[in-house]
Amino acid sequence: MKTSHNNRPVLEAVDLTKRYEDGVLALDHVNFAIPAGELFAMLGGNGAGKTTTVNLFLNLLEPTEGEARVNGVAAHLEPLKAKSQMAFVSENVMLYPNFTAIQNLDFFAKLSGHDEYGTRYYRDVLLRVGLAEESHNKRLKGFSKGMRQKCGIAIAILKNAPAILLDEPTAGLDPKAGHDFIQLLDSLRREGKAILMSTHDIFRAREVADTIAIMDCGRIIMQKRAAELQGQDLVQIYMRYMAGRTESSPIAAPVES
Amino acid sequence: MFRAILEKEIRDLLGSTKFVLTFAVSAVLIIGAFAIGATRHNLNLRQYEASVAENLRQLDGLTDWNQMEQNRVFLPPQPLAALVSGVSNDIGRTITVTGRGELTATDSRYGEDPIYAVFRFLDLKFIFHIVFSLFAILLGFDAVCGEKERGTLRLALANAVPRHTFIAGKLVGSVAALAVSLLIAVGAGCLLLPVMGVSLSGGDWIRLVLIVLTGLLYFGAFLTMSVFVSAVTHRSSSSFMAMLVIWIVGVLIVPRVSVLLAGRAIDVPSVDHMSAQKASYREQLWKESRELMANFQPKANTACAATDFGRFMDSLMDVREARTQIYTARLNEERYNRQQEQQKLAFNIARVSPSTSLTLATSALAGTFLTLKEHFVDEASGYQDAYGQFIKEKTGLNPAAGIKVIKIGESNQEPIDPDELPRFGYRPIPLDQSVASAAGDVGILAIFNLLFFAGGFLAFSRYDVR
Ligand SMILES: Nc1ncnc2c1ncn2[C@@H]1O[C@H](COP(=O)(O)OP(=O)(O)OP(=O)(O)O)[C@@H](O)[C@H]1O
Ligand SMILES: [Mg+2]
Repeated sequence: MKTSHNNRPVLEAVDLTKRYEDGVLALDHVNFAIPAGELFAMLGGNGAGKTTTVNLFLNLLEPTEGEARVNGVAAHLEPLKAKSQMAFVSENVMLYPNFTAIQNLDFFAKLSGHDEYGTRYYRDVLLRVGLAEESHNKRLKGFSKGMRQKCGIAIAILKNAPAILLDEPTAGLDPKAGHDFIQLLDSLRREGKAILMSTHDIFRAREVADTIAIMDCGRIIMQKRAAELQGQDLVQIYMRYMAGRTESSPIAAPVES
Repeated sequence: MFRAILEKEIRDLLGSTKFVLTFAVSAVLIIGAFAIGATRHNLNLRQYEASVAENLRQLDGLTDWNQMEQNRVFLPPQPLAALVSGVSNDIGRTITVTGRGELTATDSRYGEDPIYAVFRFLDLKFIFHIVFSLFAILLGFDAVCGEKERGTLRLALANAVPRHTFIAGKLVGSVAALAVSLLIAVGAGCLLLPVMGVSLSGGDWIRLVLIVLTGLLYFGAFLTMSVFVSAVTHRSSSSFMAMLVIWIVGVLIVPRVSVLLAGRAIDVPSVDHMSAQKASYREQLWKESRELMANFQPKANTACAATDFGRFMDSLMDVREARTQIYTARLNEERYNRQQEQQKLAFNIARVSPSTSLTLATSALAGTFLTLKEHFVDEASGYQDAYGQFIKEKTGLNPAAGIKVIKIGESNQEPIDPDELPRFGYRPIPLDQSVASAAGDVGILAIFNLLFFAGGFLAFSRYDVR
């Protein structure tokens, strides 16, 4: 499945810019590249532009300038080809409430082009993401947020795409569930997936990320490899960047890459 | 992929509590409408048979056809008229046949039971009208925006699914799932007809099938319209509000307003106005006659003057009569033409709503359209000829001659044979004629389906799924 070498990024933002119809500049020439087997964590306050970035990759928005590329394919030029290589987990996974977990998995697996899976495989994947056997045939409407989130990641796993995009996937999960979720991401990364995750959770970001970026007002104001941050207090760094924004103008914040 | 979306749509719809509840209510109403129709038809049939028997009873003990007071013919109840009443309750069902002259139908059902004139009968067409459209709206209003609200649309379209495939799956899936469930309810209702003793001819079955198909097209128009509206709105509450307004306007307001508008656009002279016109014309004719009378010069032979004057007056009267008749006929025709024009305009205005086409097409198919009255009178006048001929043969007199010559003592004491009286063999409006007059409106319903189907596609192709 994965054809990319370490030097060739799976997910890539090239001068990615988005100005909404009402004039809000949500993304301003954002650049990053995520190779196979790496997790890129995007930190940033509310309204920083994280969801906009993800939506541009999924072609739910048209970029004003620049490109969001998946394995070299620009999302807005060849959306279907790009989307076939990305799995997506949203902040609040919402599935069909009248369907059971298995039925939801079956539908979304078929949508992603996998007609070959059977119930046994769905059960295996659900167990892998930590959803207990007795819930597999229950309707989604009775599921807690954490259980839905597990189904969401199961759907992403079933798609078996080279890239996975997650928009605040651990928001609202209890500490244990959040921890398990991150473990799962870790194992997916080791399988060679390129993972883009937006999050507010500095600790979890630090736990798994290969690269950490801080986004503010549509710009990446800091981007560092995990190794560079070794031994440093990420919370303090984050606060310092944010403080820099409030003290001076956001444009003046230091940009590193 | 299309199949997966189709299956999902069907399963999602049929598995929802909303569907189970709405379908249960709809099915009860639909089957109930068939049961009510069957009961009504059986009742109408008994009444009809009683009337026919009553008409024949007057022949009991008669020894001469001369003694026959009057002959009446009755509109035989058609099973489909009990399901799609159309105008069948408004028009008279009895025509008194004298042997010659104009025929008028009397004894309408609404005339007999005025309460129904206020509330109208509950028939299958009414149920189609209300239930099919509401069923479509309730199950279609959130087709697209509901999935957006639930968040499933975003997740689904994060896959390599072309948008047109997605919306096609949704449209076809919902139309198929819901149409089949309605068909099951309608099918159960149809089976109820023979069970309740209503016998339908082959032609009647064809008509019924066509009526049901027309109903489904009407349902399809509202369903595709709902899906379309759900693809131009972003919240299901706004989509529902929009559909509710469309429903009220389309189903309740448009047909009535169209009559008002057509009435304003095309003036049809009132009957009173026409009487006044006729009276003034007659007045004018009299004036002319009086002038001629004043100039009357009797011939030289005065002995014949009175007779001459009498003849002269007679000729004047004949001229006046003839001219009045021509004038009246012209007025009547003008009124009739204007009425037709007004009617046509009203229908055309009302056709912006699918509900009009449903009404017109189903009543045409059931043979209960506006033309039913004319058809009944035509049939009766055909019978009148046969009846007049028969009476003349039997009595040697023109029927309804005004003077009856009863030959005392000479009369034949043998009772007459009632079976000799020609029977009124009513032939309903032929099937091909019904189909032809329904075709236009069925076509309009089909166009509504196509239009909203295409509209749904177009709207979804540029829908903001975020
Ligand atoms: N549809 C829209 N129209 C106009 N502006 C928008 C729209 N969506 C988002 N924005 C603006 O774009 C900016 C970035 O929003 P975005 O949702 O990407 O932020 P985010 O980083 O995901 O925030 P959060 O952490 O709150 O989810 C914000 O200023 C927001 O107000
Ligand atoms: Mg966000």
